[in-house]
Amino acid sequence: MEILKFLWTIFYINLFTIGGGYVMIPLLQREIVDHYHWLTNKEFIDSIAIGQLTPGPLTIMNAFIGYKVFGFWGSIGAVVSTYLPSIIIVTIVSHYYVQFRSSWIVNSSFQGIRPAVIGLLAAVAITLGKESLIDIPTVLIAVGSFSVIAFTKTDPTFVILGAGVLGALLL
Amino acid sequence: MKDVSLKDIFLIFLKIGAFAFGGVYSMLAFFEKELVHKKKWLGHEEFAESIVIGQLTPGAPIVNTGIFIGYTLKRFKGALATIAGQVLPSFLLVLIIASLYIKYKDIPLIRSVLKGIGSAVVGLVASVVYSMGKKFLTSYKSISFAVIAFLCLAIFKLNPIALIIISGIAGLIVYRRGKI
Repeated sequence: MEILKFLWTIFYINLFTIGGGYVMIPLLQREIVDHYHWLTNKEFIDSIAIGQLTPGPLTIMNAFIGYKVFGFWGSIGAVVSTYLPSIIIVTIVSHYYVQFRSSWIVNSSFQGIRPAVIGLLAAVAITLGKESLIDIPTVLIAVGSFSVIAFTKTDPTFVILGAGVLGALLL
Repeated sequence: MKDVSLKDIFLIFLKIGAFAFGGVYSMLAFFEKELVHKKKWLGHEEFAESIVIGQLTPGAPIVNTGIFIGYTLKRFKGALATIAGQVLPSFLLVLIIASLYIKYKDIPLIRSVLKGIGSAVVGLVASVVYSMGKKFLTSYKSISFAVIAFLCLAIFKLNPIALIIISGIAGLIVYRRGKI
């Protein structure tokens, strides 16, 4: 069944989302868009925006993807598959957290993973850019959002809402 | 274990889930205010510990921090209560937005709004690269990890999950010196 394949995909993506919630984006793009074609690149971009617009963690965008592809039960299933790896691993880790936190294996592998995921995110930013930035106004909105989020402490939620308004006026 | 009811845990995380917009840091500040200062369920040290654990485990760090706190307070049920609380408000909102999205996404005005939002998402992801880069790309070694991972995905289209695993193993080899 297609939905089981989807839930399994969400499960292992979240298992390998290491180093921050945003790390999920390159993994989702590979599996959900490029491999299984459950979403187009445009719809994928919309789901990132919706994940960012809602309060709470970005990972809730999986519920949107689940709903979009498989309806209500898809979204419920997506939530379960998203947080199942977390709950299994964190409860195990909390029994041994002192050893875990000070383990050289955890720390040195993280020293490799942290910078690598930055490279992955940069690559995905380019793919998304090719899809979204098609004329001068869209490029200006992207540069503007980058600058506001990177150089001021503005909440990304407001930037995305603002960009939606600009979109309605200009595009 | 402290004497905290599941309902209390659920409600406080519901508050966090409903009002903490935006980045991870705004959520962490919110966590600290509610859990350490107001409720006094945790000391500063335990709180700092739970953040580190959240970052070192797979998934959304903020959710993992919650699971860790919930588990410490009330074992497995406590952990579930923190997830339910954190996720419920945004989940309901996502359901509403998703059904509206499917109905109205092809209307020209909504298309324009989504085009604007889509451009902002590119800027947002780029800003994450920028802020994470400023924090973690501090040596030639770490910059090489980032550049190699970038090229492997952007040019060679290798599987990002495989790249995460390989970079972890490479980290073990490169950063091993001086440890046990």
